[in-house]
Amino acid sequence: MITNFVIFAFVVGLLTGAVVVGAVTWAKDLGLLMNWWKWFLSVLWYFLLLFLFFAAFTFIGEGEAAAGWKIVGISAVLLVILGVGLLRILKAK
Amino acid sequence: MAKKSESKEGACSRREFIKVGGAVAAGLQVGAVAGAGIAAGRDPSTHTGWQHLGDNTQFVDRTKLVRKGPAYEITGETLRPEMQESAFGRQSLIMRDMRQYQEMISSFDAGEERQEGMGAREEVPQGEGAPETTGGERPSQDELSFPPVEAFKEPMLSWYQNRPDLYELDKIRMEEIMPRKQKDVENYGDYYTLINAWSDSWSTRVRITEPPEESDFKIEGRQRIGDPKPFKSPAHAAKLIKKAAHHFGATMVGITTIEPDWCYNYDLRGSEDRGSYEVPRHWKFVIAFGVPHQWEQVNSNPNSGTSFDAYSRSSIAARRLETFIKSLGYPARRHSPMDGYDLIAVPYLVKAGLGEQGRHGIVITPETGSNFRSAFVTTSLEMEIDQPIDFGVRKFCEHCQICADICPSGSISKADNNEEMNTRGYRHWEINQTSCYNFWMQSMGGMGCRLCLIACPYSRKSNWVHSLARNLDTHDPTGLVEKGLTKMQKNLFEAPEAHEYLPPPDGRFANFREPPEWLQVKNYLDMDVTDPTIGG
Repeated sequence: MITNFVIFAFVVGLLTGAVVVGAVTWAKDLGLLMNWWKWFLSVLWYFLLLFLFFAAFTFIGEGEAAAGWKIVGISAVLLVILGVGLLRILKAK
Repeated sequence: MAKKSESKEGACSRREFIKVGGAVAAGLQVGAVAGAGIAAGRDPSTHTGWQHLGDNTQFVDRTKLVRKGPAYEITGETLRPEMQESAFGRQSLIMRDMRQYQEMISSFDAGEERQEGMGAREEVPQGEGAPETTGGERPSQDELSFPPVEAFKEPMLSWYQNRPDLYELDKIRMEEIMPRKQKDVENYGDYYTLINAWSDSWSTRVRITEPPEESDFKIEGRQRIGDPKPFKSPAHAAKLIKKAAHHFGATMVGITTIEPDWCYNYDLRGSEDRGSYEVPRHWKFVIAFGVPHQWEQVNSNPNSGTSFDAYSRSSIAARRLETFIKSLGYPARRHSPMDGYDLIAVPYLVKAGLGEQGRHGIVITPETGSNFRSAFVTTSLEMEIDQPIDFGVRKFCEHCQICADICPSGSISKADNNEEMNTRGYRHWEINQTSCYNFWMQSMGGMGCRLCLIACPYSRKSNWVHSLARNLDTHDPTGLVEKGLTKMQKNLFEAPEAHEYLPPPDGRFANFREPPEWLQVKNYLDMDVTDPTIGG
């Protein structure tokens, strides 16, 4: 169990590194003028995405598939709305 | 120039690779989190009540939840519970009086009543305006099935005169529900073969056959207990007893003092006198504990579950703990589902700080929600006692009516609060036990219902989502979390409607969740069975 967790944490850590490097490159190429609070909001949005998916699939795993898919649907709408808002903020000069 | 361009292209492709790699990594991370979510959801160690305990006697540190004041608010003259108040106790009195009534009717038919004295007739009280059932007209078929109020002996006569609503419910059970159940069993019984076998396998009993002055001082009914072994302190005694109880199978353990009001006022086990009794002096302390139901089957209630798995486990833990205490030289008596009780469970669980009483009348604990069954040991061993706790159930139950909404018999109150409720002088949520029992007699599988146990939001799985929700609710003084969570609970999770749990034609013998595959006849037995849950 602990071994599985360590492997999982290692893989997620690697992926996080790749996401961070990728995000910085994307920001530069898109010409976004990032500062600390813009990064904070972006990280918050991404954590919300991960949190909601984790919750939704936990419900699916426990046998409450209907609840899980409802959360996926609600999350998708919420994240798109917040994502559009976030992008406008990030693009603001 | 060409070299520079190549270098730019290389840089560009590296840049593109990082960007695409980052996006792919983000996608993989979402996938990994989803996979981890599924694993967390499936994890059997998150079955509520079955979380890993290690050496602990409970999962939750109750010292932070202690509340001031008594376990219950007293609202009037307090009384001990009488046999006829309980639907179970009343059933045996009903059967006794019905048998005598039937004998009386038979003797009426045989014309014996005038020749051989009154026999049972003498025992039938003839109140004012009572129909003359023993002479003149022959009683109707209706009266033959369930006697009129006046035909009952005390204490049932006074009880029914004061509670005509319960007379009607008992009459419905005896005349309509029980014959219909018999037909349902004939038609669909085979479909429940495995769940019935599972339920029966847990239901062994060990009766107490001697009064407390004898049985509580003997180990295994034979050897007299020795001199009491001195403990370093009541705190040491409590610590040891809790640890032992836990290792004997109890999930959570609390200790409190005896309260005579919460000891039955009849039928002391092992005593020949079935009437009122004085609470034995050596019952000074009550060790209260709980054991959860097997997770998969408790979710498949009311028609494919049983009470007997947790009944059995808590009863075995009680037998072991009783022997342990006796072996240390202290009198002890177990009170458990399989071996019987001389006390009522719920208030002792509350007073011992295991949980709070919910809208459905039973106790909700921080560890197991409503998914547990209790047992007790009374003893003279002096132990440090626990205090009632408050983790928000009282307020939560006022807003959450999930158990009341799903109850097939409508036995759970939908009142805004329990301000107007008074049971033998104490204020707490109360249910209509008789209509509840009437549904028990209709359900298939191991007799009973248990739907309120499992529909309770506190009984949801103990994975990170539900644990987080419960913790947030407990620590939120505003009540906003509680309202939000209740709304989410009602809108996200699906379950059959209350009427669907009933037998056809009103319902379809539905279950809260599908029975586990190992309790489905079609998967293991070569039998032709009719599935009553389809259609309806």
